[in-house]
Amino acid sequence: MPDPSKIKFLVVDDFSTMRRIVRNLLKELGYVNADEAEDGAIALQKLKGGGYDFVVSDWNMPNMDGLQLLQAVRADPALKHLPVLMITAEAKKENIIAAAQAGAHGYIVKPFTAATLNEKLAKIFEKLEGASA
Amino acid sequence: MAKPINFDESGDSQDLQALFDSIAAGAGAASPLPVAAAADSSGDNADLQALFDSVAADSVAAQQTPAAELAAGGDEVFRRIGHMTRELHNTLRELGFDKMLGDAAKTIPDARERLSYIAQMTEQAASRALNAVDIAQPIQDGLKNDSQLLGARWEKVFTNQLSVEDFKALAADTRSFLNRVPQQAQATNAQLTEIMMAQDFQDLTGQVIKKVVDMAQTMEQQLLKLLVEAMPEDVRAEAPSGLLNGPVINALGRSDVVTSQGQVDDLLESLGF
Repeated sequence: MPDPSKIKFLVVDDFSTMRRIVRNLLKELGYVNADEAEDGAIALQKLKGGGYDFVVSDWNMPNMDGLQLLQAVRADPALKHLPVLMITAEAKKENIIAAAQAGAHGYIVKPFTAATLNEKLAKIFEKLEGASA
Repeated sequence: MAKPINFDESGDSQDLQALFDSIAAGAGAASPLPVAAAADSSGDNADLQALFDSVAADSVAAQQTPAAELAAGGDEVFRRIGHMTRELHNTLRELGFDKMLGDAAKTIPDARERLSYIAQMTEQAASRALNAVDIAQPIQDGLKNDSQLLGARWEKVFTNQLSVEDFKALAADTRSFLNRVPQQAQATNAQLTEIMMAQDFQDLTGQVIKKVVDMAQTMEQQLLKLLVEAMPEDVRAEAPSGLLNGPVINALGRSDVVTSQGQVDDLLESLGF
């Protein structure tokens, strides 16, 4: 299991409260290295700058929504390997399927619990380790 | 923001009045068309149909007529549209709808303000609560760590691994820890109270939300009344809602949404993700 404090997260959500909550939860789990972005466009710019290992993103955001961000990440050869976890209020089955097909590694529906976030993160890391083993 | 609608004594907007007057001035002998609500099979007003037919006839004739007659034909169409609009406007006024629409339009800035207020209150409350958490968590973490360290040292006492000197030091440290605990518990309690107090927004936002809901309902009723008069049933189609719908407020009767993380996981699993 890689050192959690070494993993750099990008938390993307247009509500500052939600960004703060997610960052606090990540900190509780040992992931102390996290940056924020308030929409997909700013997030993509930061990601292209490099240094990020994990993206946690909302869907419904101005300028570039979560699905578009996910698609842009998967389309960029330098970024397509990045794990992307969606945390969103969008609860239509259509949404869930679209996210999965676009390459999201996980989908958490709001409101969510700390336990759920923990579980999904662990699952994603497990899969990533399995893939690189 | 649009400029406020001016109503003169007859109840008409002054801009509309000017428009009608300018059209009426060019009307000449043309007679006003009666406003018929009867819809034919395509859903069009019979007068509209007549108008379209005459325009179509005009354009056919126009291919064989000199320019002067063309211009006259165009004028006639314009006059007829002006008259129909005038009649529609009068009907709306008689039924009282134009006032309603005006009032509805005026309530929207008010509703916007109220909703902004709600957003502001809830953000402040969230901030207050999160700040309190940021203060309280380190206190609790400190208590946890200190007690664990002391506990480990006490274990050594019970397994006879501690020297007398160390035991004296442990006793002193434990004593000072016990003196610290009440004060730290009190500090944490204070933050918990702050979190509780931060929930007071709910009362205020609840009242404002109720007002906005009432406003929206009134506006909806007024607009619906107008729409129902003007539009036949089958025209009101369901617009597709896309992928940006926000949280599901009421899942009752819906089979296209999920209502728990468990359902999300099941759906993904069933698709092989």
